[in-house]
Amino acid sequence: MNFDQLKDDWNSAKAPSANISPELLKMKEAHTPIETIRKRMKGEFNYQLVGMFIIALCPFTFNFPAKIIPIFVAFYSIMAGFTAYYFYKFYAFYKNAYDLSLDTRKNLLWFYYEMKMNVELYKALSYILVFISIAFVGIAFLMVSGDNMPGLRHFTIPVIIVFCFLTVLIMGLATEFWARYYYGKHVAQLKAIIDALDEE
Amino acid sequence: MPEAIEQIFLSLVNANKGIIHKITKMYMDNSEDQKDLFQEIVLQLWKAYPGFKGNSKFSTWMYRVALNTALVFLRKESRKVGQTELNENIDLADTGDNQEQEERLASLYKAVQELNKIEKALIFLFLENQSHREIAHNLGITEGNARVKLNRTKEKLQQIIKKNGYEF
Repeated sequence: MNFDQLKDDWNSAKAPSANISPELLKMKEAHTPIETIRKRMKGEFNYQLVGMFIIALCPFTFNFPAKIIPIFVAFYSIMAGFTAYYFYKFYAFYKNAYDLSLDTRKNLLWFYYEMKMNVELYKALSYILVFISIAFVGIAFLMVSGDNMPGLRHFTIPVIIVFCFLTVLIMGLATEFWARYYYGKHVAQLKAIIDALDEE
Repeated sequence: MPEAIEQIFLSLVNANKGIIHKITKMYMDNSEDQKDLFQEIVLQLWKAYPGFKGNSKFSTWMYRVALNTALVFLRKESRKVGQTELNENIDLADTGDNQEQEERLASLYKAVQELNKIEKALIFLFLENQSHREIAHNLGITEGNARVKLNRTKEKLQQIIKKNGYEF
């Protein structure tokens, strides 16, 4: 066996006689990393909507004092604004068509940077929502300072600092883990292919 | 009109379907994954078809889309019910002229499974009689890099075929 012989065999091999069914053109589900990420982001969008709805019920569920309600409404609006902006970005990503007829390097880089950017956007949104939530809790605490909600009297300044620090830390780690677990492996796979292509 | 476009597309793809069959056999080592990749390539070709302006040969355009799809394709983690019906439309078996030729090709397909995705692309384009320049153009790398990579990959493939007990 040698490469010339293999080339001859390769080029003289006949393709199967059966023709391609038009049914194949009607498939909707694709299996590229972009499609996988889009599918998951669509799911997360639905969770996010449910989350926003649940947050909207908080003043009623926890019987917020009247003076906190305007603050809550302001923070909720900011949260909704950021969520709407990021989901507009995700929607654009979801709808954006891609072209697999570019040369391989351009194609791989497009997939890689699109995925990386959207994963970073996803992480940024998570951080922003956590910071807004913490800021609201902090301001609400200062406003009521135990007068109307006796349970808050135990929350001294050092306790609040530790609470905020731990919340940010846990949410940061959870977001990193979530993004890496769900999206990171596809990004890493593409990076490995690009590295193999660029290797001299 | 859309039906006419679909017919033209299908006739072009059917005339070049050997390319897809070969790529699926190079990139996937079992028939179920090969069928999935075959479907994916046809689907991506169809989605990309409006962008085909005829500036190059259809087969040249098809090489790119098919290879790029294979490079980013994700194997299914779980199989879906209802796929069988569609799969019946696909026959992935090559019909070789003789036993020896089939054996040599089988040994080749077995050996390429040990190559990485880029190495598979290089060998595929080489077997399709593409020059170093064409390979470089399709992969988006320099001609020199394509030459070096191809030589290394051929050596590696040769070693794998020998290791598998075939004379080379």
